[in-house]
Amino acid sequence: MSSIAPTVKLHLNKREITFLVPLYITLMVTVLSVLIALIFWRSGSQPGSDGWVIGSRNNPGIAYSLPGFLVYLGVQSIATTFPFALTLGATRRAFTAGTLAWAAMVSAYLAIVLAILTVLEIATNHWFTGFYIFDIYILGTGNIPRLLAIVFLGSLTSLTLGGVFAAAWVRFGTNGPRTLGIALGLVIAVGALLIVPAWPDLQAAFQLWWLAVTAVVVIAGSSIASWAFLRSATVR
Amino acid sequence: MTHAIDIRSVTRSYGSTRALDDASFSVPEGSICGLLGRNGAGKTTVMSIIAGQDRPSSGEAQVLGHTPFEHAPTLTRISYVRDNQRYPDDYRLHHVLRIAPAFAPFWDPDVAAELVDGFRIPARTAIKKFSRGQLSSVAIVLGLASRAPVTLFDEPYLGLDVSSRALFYRVLLQDLAEHPRTVLLSTHLIEESESLFDRVVILDRGKVVVDADRDDARDLAVTISGIDDAVDLVATGRRVFQTHAIGGLKSVTVAGSVDADLRERADRAGVKVAPASLQDLVAAYGAGDPTTADHQVGARS
Repeated sequence: MSSIAPTVKLHLNKREITFLVPLYITLMVTVLSVLIALIFWRSGSQPGSDGWVIGSRNNPGIAYSLPGFLVYLGVQSIATTFPFALTLGATRRAFTAGTLAWAAMVSAYLAIVLAILTVLEIATNHWFTGFYIFDIYILGTGNIPRLLAIVFLGSLTSLTLGGVFAAAWVRFGTNGPRTLGIALGLVIAVGALLIVPAWPDLQAAFQLWWLAVTAVVVIAGSSIASWAFLRSATVR
Repeated sequence: MTHAIDIRSVTRSYGSTRALDDASFSVPEGSICGLLGRNGAGKTTVMSIIAGQDRPSSGEAQVLGHTPFEHAPTLTRISYVRDNQRYPDDYRLHHVLRIAPAFAPFWDPDVAAELVDGFRIPARTAIKKFSRGQLSSVAIVLGLASRAPVTLFDEPYLGLDVSSRALFYRVLLQDLAEHPRTVLLSTHLIEESESLFDRVVILDRGKVVVDADRDDARDLAVTISGIDDAVDLVATGRRVFQTHAIGGLKSVTVAGSVDADLRERADRAGVKVAPASLQDLVAAYGAGDPTTADHQVGARS
């Protein structure tokens, strides 16, 4: 009997944090975005004007709030759940696979929720008042297939990154995430040093799918590293 | 005889610390085996290895004929809740009761309900806020209701009041009678648990010092008590595990059984001899390296 499906159930066991907390956060972002829009409105900006639309669509609130929560969710999906999963009889391999499957489910759920909200926003002519909450640049400007890809890959990246840091902690204690953080920082710094001279050319040639490929590489790398850490981790 | 658990020359080191040192013992199927020894003797380490939560540095552990580490079919047949078990953030009792059956194919919800009710485990409090006794209660619910063919209890009574312990004994014996399985139970409440065991394994500093049927284990040591010189005389030539002296009286725990020769010497010297209790035996092995009684007698004379 494989313990992949039970591991997915184990993660889904905390339904509120999995399904409702992301909605609470989205609601909070919505309220804050509306409040900010009202401030601009009161200060003379006109809903529907070019400046209003461009300014509203640059709202990065959702990008600031959801990933932070998702990284936390990824951390706890391993840090405190792994010891209990072992107790219940999961293998480390099945736990890693089940955790990735759960992360993909959560990411798909969020992508669908945000897609529905975006469709509603567009269908209601931006909530009948010209408020742009989801029809924004960072979510693909109303392009639903693009939004689905952005939210799915972005969420999965956040969850698996949180997971790999937690797996490093389970395996090596506090030294694990510290060393992993330093190593990642060095890789990013060296990478930046190498590509800085070609930055203008890269910027000119930039394609959105580059980000998608980067996300897939990060997701795969994090998942493999999590498995490598957990495989030899001792729970004490 | 088929063995549910087979530990062969297992050593487990953490850095320079040797938690298990060439340990070997077996637990027959259907047995209730007490795993005894001092704190740090290696009980939790060996249980972790049996449960597939850890691997030996060397040697081999087999459970139901397989190496448990990463062997899914075997892991579904083992139940082991650590004495310091961690639960996912914000877990409450209902989270545990809802998820456990997904992993435990033999889960019995009636047993779980009976224990939850009997232990009065709070339903609304987060598990991380539970008292030591309440945490032990949750571990017992998981261990007994899972009805795993190999069930490991690591200090199941920690913090439990006397009524809860009585409930645990009753349900354990009742459920084992209906659904026999192999139980390995570590505890420091030896006198209270002794009657449960049909077999005992005593660990000291990572080594197996006793692996025997419970009744045979009682024949491994004798307590000799009386006036100190007379006790020393009777104990001469035997391995002394432990000595207690008050004024001119002395009690020593020595290796061996109460045979006719010992009884005759004791009668002549006017001292009492009796088989050591299991608790005395565990305390004796944990007291330190045995000495030979000759030296003590020699020193006095």
